[in-house]
Amino acid sequence: MSQNTSHWRKLFSGAFNNLFPAVPYAASEIHHSEYLAAEIKNLTVNIRPQSLPVFSNVNFEIPLYCKTALIGPNGSGKSTLLKTLAGLIPNYSGEIKLFGSEPRLGRSRIAYLAQSPQLNPDFPLQLKRLVQMGTYAHHGWFEECNHADEKVASALKLLELEDLVDRSVHNLSGGQLQRGLLARAAVQGAELLLLDEPYAALDTKSRDIVENFLFQKNNSFTVIMATHDRADSQRFDRILEMRDGSLKIVHACTGHKNHHA
Amino acid sequence: MLNTLFSALQEDFFLRALLALFLCGISAACLGSYIILRRMAFISTAMTHSILPGVVLAILLGFSAYWGALIAALLTAAGIAWISSRKGTSEDSAIGVMLSVMFALGIAFMGLSHSWRDFTGLLFGSIVSVSTEDIAVILGTTLIVLFCLRLVHKELELASFDEEYAQLLGARPAMLRSVLLILIALAAVASVRLVGALLTTALFIIPSTTGVLIGKNLKEVMFWSVVCACGGGTIGLILSYSFQGIPAGAAIVLGCAVPYLIVRIKNN
Repeated sequence: MSQNTSHWRKLFSGAFNNLFPAVPYAASEIHHSEYLAAEIKNLTVNIRPQSLPVFSNVNFEIPLYCKTALIGPNGSGKSTLLKTLAGLIPNYSGEIKLFGSEPRLGRSRIAYLAQSPQLNPDFPLQLKRLVQMGTYAHHGWFEECNHADEKVASALKLLELEDLVDRSVHNLSGGQLQRGLLARAAVQGAELLLLDEPYAALDTKSRDIVENFLFQKNNSFTVIMATHDRADSQRFDRILEMRDGSLKIVHACTGHKNHHA
Repeated sequence: MLNTLFSALQEDFFLRALLALFLCGISAACLGSYIILRRMAFISTAMTHSILPGVVLAILLGFSAYWGALIAALLTAAGIAWISSRKGTSEDSAIGVMLSVMFALGIAFMGLSHSWRDFTGLLFGSIVSVSTEDIAVILGTTLIVLFCLRLVHKELELASFDEEYAQLLGARPAMLRSVLLILIALAAVASVRLVGALLTTALFIIPSTTGVLIGKNLKEVMFWSVVCACGGGTIGLILSYSFQGIPAGAAIVLGCAVPYLIVRIKNN
């Protein structure tokens, strides 16, 4: 009986996805043999058409697995740059290539963490479900995400959240929530993490856990992390500074320092 | 009370009313959970009130009230989207404008027909006159609503909790919101016969407000909302059956408020 249900579900799901090809955000991307995670040429961003650009003619490259800090004072355009890379700001000119493709929504390889995530404070949700949501990127209509339990458990362990799985996300501290969101990105299978001031709400313990997660050997992330505090950038391979509407490379390395080290 | 219930269950009209109540309660409570959690109570009130001109016009022109209501609800949703996209008008104001205009239009159509009495059932509900055909339509509507909610369950859950993440994954929150509004309109049309255009919104909001107080996650919220809608509604129906002067629609809404009061007092 359950096999029959599963068969019809698959059949219907396939037909539905064929009928609405624009919606299957679960579509996986073709893996190219790239060496660059991000390639930005002459990037100029206007939040609204006709408005002054937030920054102009920005050029940089980020090699695979490179951990990059994006530093600069408040209002220098760090968050705007990250949002543009994530595909949330479409008004830009110039060229952006992330893993060889232009930014767009619906890419499971890219995760973006806002400085203050706008989560619905009324919505009842336990931490485990929050982390499970990362698997939605790989599922089509009708498919539940419960079968990713191993992935979810491993991400929770990595970010030291195993004891909090049943806790409401609204009862978590700022640091615990930030770690939960990082666990969600890990479950999503993101290869490029765009992080906007992730250390801002963290105490020393949470910060150590997050740093271990980001800088552990042999992890397969490329990271671009915005921070206004220059001291945060010490462990990073590459430092980019945004100031007065332009960007300069302060420190650059080969980019493979943490990978296969 | 049990005696009254047993004697009511002997009556065909009461059984039909109970079946209609349970079917409407299920769809309204499931949708209501999203309405409350997404803070969409005002827009759902607008959708349920705005179906009035469509229903009146459909009856006057001699075609199905359900189609009339659906067209009116879609026009309202489109009107809200259009007005709020103009500079200087918030979505809140747009909802207020469309709600008032559509409801006033319904009253104007009633006046033009010179037959107010024919439409009191629309305004206040007439559950005792629910026919087998009505039950079929309500059943169809409930199945459509549940099927669509199942179809987009995880996307709606994601977009309701973290809209930006849903957008990043390509789950189209704006489209999901439109789907939700259309489903609210459909369920409202089915519920009009039960409690009337004026009180339909209560069937969506009161049980789910109670469900939110009890449930720890979306599934639990939906479960308790359905229990409160069906349980509270049944109390209301029995009340209306026992005291003939109380209209069934009003009694159902009052009945739905009973679980809310109990939970609220217990939580305090």
